This record gives sequence, C-alpha cells and structure tokens, in this order.
Amino acid sequence: MNILRPKESWHLRESEVTPESVYRLRNRREFLKTIGVGAASTFFLRSHALAATGGFPAAPNSDYPPGELRVTPYTLITSYNNFYEFGLDKGDPVVNSNRGWTPEPWTVTIGGLANNSGKWNVEDLLKKMGGIEERVYRHRCVEAWSMVVPWDGFPLRKLVDFADPKPEAKYVRLTSFEHVKGAQDAGFGGPYLEGLRIDEARNELAFIATGIYGKPIPNQNGAPLRLVTPWKYGFKGIKSIVRIDFTTREPINTWQKLAEYEYGFYANVNPSVDHPRWSQASERVIGGTLFNGRQATLMFNGYEKQVAAMYRGMDLRKYF
Amino acid sequence: MEKLFRSKLFVWTLLVLTGLWPAWPIFRQDQTVLADPLQYLLHHYGFVACVLLATVLTLTPLRVLFSHSRLALAVNRHRRLLGVSAFFYALIHLGVQFFHENGWPTFFSDIRKPFLLCGLLTLVILLLLAVTSFTFMVRWMGGRRWKILHRLAYLAVPLAAYHQALARKLFPMQVLWIFIPLVVLEAARVMKHRLSTTHPPTVASTK
Repeated sequence: MNILRPKESWHLRESEVTPESVYRLRNRREFLKTIGVGAASTFFLRSHALAATGGFPAAPNSDYPPGELRVTPYTLITSYNNFYEFGLDKGDPVVNSNRGWTPEPWTVTIGGLANNSGKWNVEDLLKKMGGIEERVYRHRCVEAWSMVVPWDGFPLRKLVDFADPKPEAKYVRLTSFEHVKGAQDAGFGGPYLEGLRIDEARNELAFIATGIYGKPIPNQNGAPLRLVTPWKYGFKGIKSIVRIDFTTREPINTWQKLAEYEYGFYANVNPSVDHPRWSQASERVIGGTLFNGRQATLMFNGYEKQVAAMYRGMDLRKYF
Repeated sequence: MEKLFRSKLFVWTLLVLTGLWPAWPIFRQDQTVLADPLQYLLHHYGFVACVLLATVLTLTPLRVLFSHSRLALAVNRHRRLLGVSAFFYALIHLGVQFFHENGWPTFFSDIRKPFLLCGLLTLVILLLLAVTSFTFMVRWMGGRRWKILHRLAYLAVPLAAYHQALARKLFPMQVLWIFIPLVVLEAARVMKHRLSTTHPPTVASTK
C-alpha cells in the first residue's frame, strides 16, 4: 500500500479488501462470512458516517454477476478518478475530496415536470427505493480506458417512478453539487450537468450507485449518489447528485457545453465512432499488464441486448 | 551557481534523472500511476520533451538579452545536449505511444488525427535537427545553411504546444508555463534587436 499518503476514512485495510478470488466465488453465504466482520467494524468505528449507508450489504442481482469479467481491484477504482471539481489529475480527487468535504447531510431535490417534486434526505429516499442491490458492470471512459466495477445501489427507474413525471416530460436532467471553486478551476461555469432521455432513464441498466464492493461509495467516486449508465461513456455518470429535473427539452450536459465537437448528449460507447483525437475501437484495461493491457471495445460496451432498441433508426455518427 | 550550470556532469545528471523519474511513483506504489502505467509514461516523456524544447530555445535570447551575465553564457554551453535530449525524449514518447496504441493498426489509424500528426511532425523536425547536430555535419553543411535548417526549431514550438494542449480532455495549464517564458524572451530579443538597428551606433562599422 501507499507508504507516504495518510490513511483516509474511506480507506480499507488490506485485510478488508475483498480479494478477487473470494469475490468471484459468489457463494453468498461464504462471501458474507469472509468480508462481513471487517465491513461491520468499519461502519461502527468510522469517525463520521457517510451519507448513504443504508442497506449494506446489498443483495447481488443475479442478472449482473461478475461472470467472466475481471473485477478491477478496489484500490484502483477508488484512486483513479475523474472528478474535476476535486482536481484535474486522476490522483487528485482521492486526496481533495477527503479533505474536509463530507456528503452529509445530503438533500436531493426532485423538480421540473414531476407530480412528486420536493426535497428528500438521502437516507429517507433510499428507504423509499426499497433497499439496494449489487450489480457488476463494465465501465468505459471516453478517454479509452475501462474498469469492471461491482456497484451497490438501486435502478434509476425506481427513482423516476417515485418522482412520477408528467406525461409531457421527455428528458431527465441531473445536477451535481456545486463545488464553487472546483467547478471554476475546471472551467465548468456552474455545477456539472448530465441528462438522459426518459426511456434511457427507465432502461433496466440505468442505475444509481450508493456503494462499491459492498461499502458506501467513497467521496471521490461520487458520494452519496451517482449515476451509472454502463452502455455510455463514463462522463455520463454524474457524481454527487443534488437535483433531478424532468424537462421537455434535451438538457445540455457539461462536456457537450465545453466541447460540442468532441462530446455529445448520447455518449453511447461505440467502437466505430472515434473521438476526434483518439480511437474508440479499443480500450486500456485499468490494472492490466504493461504490454498487453488493451482489449477491443464492444458496441454499447457489451450491453447491446439491453439498449440497442432505444436507438434503432438513429444515425449514431450524428447523435454521438 | 555559474560553476554548477557550466558543469556538463550536472546537466547530464538532471537529464538522466528526468528520464528515470517514473521509477519513483512505481516504487511508491502510487495507485494512479499503476492503474494506467503506459498513459503515465506517455505523458511524462512528452512533457519532458516539451520542457527541453522550450528550454533550449530560451538559451539564445538569454545570451542576447543578458550578454554580460556569466550564467547566461554558462547555460549556453549545453545547447546541443539539451536539443538532442529533447529529440531523445520525444522519441521515447513515440515509442511508448506505440505500446499505448497496442501496435501498428491503431497506431496508423490514429496518427492521421491532427492532434497526433502535429506531434509526429514535431518529432520529424527534431530528428532532422538532431542528425545535423554532429560537428562534422555542421562543417559539411556550412554555417549558413545549418542555421537556416535549425530555424525549423521555431516551427516545432507551436506544433509541440498544440499537440500538448490537446493531450488531455481539458486544456492543460502546463502548456502555458512551459511556452510563455519562451515567447516573452523571444519578444524581448526582437525588441532589443529593433532598438539597436533603428538607433545605429555613431561609430561607423567597418565592412
């Protein structure tokens, strides 16, 4: 482990990190026995609780098991992050987001064209979502690197149904917390914004994560709530969500606003549509070996079966 | 100070240490580096090449502007070494890019993108300058022609800066602090040159 950097509250001791071999066993009882004790002790001994701690350990969703996927080690998932409000380098968020910032208490606002608009405390909202489940998803960044992440959380569809959007609502706009100085340094001109078509938000894959590896999600990964849309590039996965609005017009997401020729609204993983500066045909596997760390990128990041129907008839070169 | 900067050993040590720098985060088990080591190496060597290119070009304006400074003269001893090192690190950068792209197919399809093409063009210029930097090459070409060829370095700068500016998702501020000092010094040199030619010395120069 790191010899110079001080341990943070989210840091797991080596003994608490689920070894891949144990993780892959997927024998639920065995798995819990192995990690349960360590996990419980961190919850109760933690000096400050993370915001969305409800429901752990999550029940694995057997539709999204690790299967043949090589799950990325916990230390890499939680120390290699793009979270520009906490610094522009991959190693910055792990340090800066754990320096005095705490996602507690956390309020989520539902607004726009929704019948059930209002403000909710994140813990209460979590209870209304009926607990959490675990899904192992591929994660493909637009920068052509990828991970496999075991997320804990709930389907976004549940939240959409809870908000009860009006029939004229066609899109969902998500807003991240405003880290004033961070957003300014990154040149975002306001809080990070993302959006989905409402049918995308209701797709079975769209997920709100509250945890990783059976633990509350660390600040640098987007505590307490973050979006996970595994068939889209990682930047769609807006972190630390404070607002969800239902709209009639397509929201302009932050990266599209910054560089509309490079990043679009859809951002579906597509190996045949290159980024203007690099190829999207393949990806570097995080934690892979030095000289054989690339693998071919799959259409919709391997989730064609679940999502392709939503884009039938669309020119994906134009709607990138 | 001046003695230190005159020392070839000192400059060589600096150059070698920059090359070996990536060993440190790997020794430290820096997770961000271990996550994507090729990307780290790629950016590191590209960065070093840009710094060296900018540095070697500041030497002439420094000498002209501070002609009485012994320090400016001392660092000017290392022009060739720094210039060739810029090429050397740019070459390593390209080599890493080859592995980063996982071989020829992606490498070739990607090199057509303007961002990468500018990087390659910079390297070609640096290659030309490096192979003509041997003393016998300078003699063979003749001073004037050599000088004209080596003005290509000033073309390499905007190409390299453009290439570096696009290397990250957001504009990296380092591009500014690497290249702005050079631009300022060059501007000052041109100003000085203008001032001295519009007000010629009263003593007529012997032709």
